[in-house]
Amino acid sequence: MTRYALAINTGRCMGCQTCANACKMENNVPMGMLWNRVIVEGSDSFDGAEGEYPNLKRNYIALTCQHCENPACEKVCPTGATYKDELGRVEIDYDKCIGCRMCMAACPYNVRTFNWADPVRDPEFNYGNKNVPVREKGVMEKCTLCKELTDKGETPMCVRCCPVKARTFGDLDDPNSEISKLKESHKVRLLLEDKGTRPQVFYYE
Amino acid sequence: MNDMKTLTRKPAVWVFGVLALIGIGCWIYQLIGGLAVTGMSNATSWGLYITNFMFFVGLSAGGLIVASSAHVFNIKSFKKIALPAVICSTVCICCAAMFVLIDLGGIQRVWRIVTGANFTSPLVWDMCVITIYLVINILDIYFITKRNEKAVRYISYVALPVAILVHSVTAWIFGLEIAKEGWYSAILAPIFVASACDSGLSLLILSLMGLAKAKVLEVGSDLMSSLSKLLATFIAVDAYFIFCELITMAYPGTEGANEVLATMFTGATAPFFWFEIVFGLLVPFLVLFSAKRRQSKGLVILSSILVICGVFCKRVWLLFTSFVTPNIYGAPGISTGTFAAQQTPIDMWMTIGTYAPTAIEILVTLGVISVGILGWMFLSSKLLGGKGLSTEKQDEQ
Repeated sequence: MTRYALAINTGRCMGCQTCANACKMENNVPMGMLWNRVIVEGSDSFDGAEGEYPNLKRNYIALTCQHCENPACEKVCPTGATYKDELGRVEIDYDKCIGCRMCMAACPYNVRTFNWADPVRDPEFNYGNKNVPVREKGVMEKCTLCKELTDKGETPMCVRCCPVKARTFGDLDDPNSEISKLKESHKVRLLLEDKGTRPQVFYYE
Repeated sequence: MNDMKTLTRKPAVWVFGVLALIGIGCWIYQLIGGLAVTGMSNATSWGLYITNFMFFVGLSAGGLIVASSAHVFNIKSFKKIALPAVICSTVCICCAAMFVLIDLGGIQRVWRIVTGANFTSPLVWDMCVITIYLVINILDIYFITKRNEKAVRYISYVALPVAILVHSVTAWIFGLEIAKEGWYSAILAPIFVASACDSGLSLLILSLMGLAKAKVLEVGSDLMSSLSKLLATFIAVDAYFIFCELITMAYPGTEGANEVLATMFTGATAPFFWFEIVFGLLVPFLVLFSAKRRQSKGLVILSSILVICGVFCKRVWLLFTSFVTPNIYGAPGISTGTFAAQQTPIDMWMTIGTYAPTAIEILVTLGVISVGILGWMFLSSKLLGGKGLSTEKQDEQ
């Protein structure tokens, strides 16, 4: 079995949003939405901080689909449009999505994004990888773990473009992979672990 | 045909007809522009349509629960109102189904739910139960009008549990989502059934009053009084369940629950919460508690209207409170994907979920309700004999 996942080093992440942009360009994500975004945990303002002066901290969290082992979104999808694939990724079959947004309500991480209107692109052409399917109005989309790249054994674009190498991609089921070793050797953080979704994406410092 | 002629003479029919047409027009506009013409976004992904969906399933289930109880428990006095109750129930479930279909972003692919149903999805359960429920309603109407007492009794044995189930399954669409602190609760289904009983019974009382006024149906004051007493009981049960839910949520004092409760008590959904508690539960209960006050037609009507408004507010605070604070909070927040977000990057973000229905959404909603009222008027005049209507016609001539 294969369980593709991402490891994100919060100690290295500097909140530059390059991963968000790389993802947007690769996956042809339209204006007004992102599959991958970097937030400052607990902060009210962009690039702000959490807490009261002088006790401030700024913790960047690159937030994307957690590719859960127990995905809440998959269970509630009425048509099976959201599914867990054989490589351990949570994917969406756009042809099956009826736009009921059940998955959006079920996902604890708010990482799904819906095409509320006809997608708009600036510049006005499909800037993404030519193999990435174009999504229409009324369809749910989210991080595919760069399905089109990882199917061919390549690395997702966010991992490739991260300027500080904060991201690692790999197979959790391969004990010799870099990601498995990272998980083994570090104290890792899973987002909202108490929700029981068992995210495959993990954070460490 | 006579019924149709008398119906079209009523000005109300024209008003609702125009509203229905406007609603259809707005829905077509929404199909062209996408759901971005509504106030929903990636932060608040369900809005007025789903609120109404919950609300109308409740109104429907309440009516059928009362109607089928008449036959299951052999309450003779209630049997008389079984037909108007089932008519209400049928109309409301059709409205509920319309709301959920209007809410779909890709209605052209809705057949996928039949060819590739995923049976772990509460939405699939709901679709199955609503279909069965609608069929039972229609059969019930058929056999009541054919005066086949035996068949009606058998159907009622099925109808009662299915009516309870239909609202429980609707509750599970929300109550099984661990992602939302304010929804995930074992008591959500009982709360939904209780609120279905009180709002559905209120609607039934109002429609009986209306039918009595139009001289279609005679409703004795004894019957009205016992229905009001039943309503008071249902309100008390509803209030009790809501209290159980609140105390269970509040007592451990967890961070997530505190946020939800703060939003409900003093935050964005507080007006709806307090309206329900005070005017939707407390006031009508105190009014209907007294046998003397139950005799007053005006007070019973007022209480029924308050209960219905209260339950609507309940749907609002239940749905939206859980959308306000995301589980993982932090600026810049959630990328909303709305029209505004497409145009100006700075308007793309929401750190907390906000929502207000747009005019289109409200007009579509009014359209659906108008279709429901027209359906109710048509079925009532057709099935309840149209006796009153024909006298009215003679008066006019």
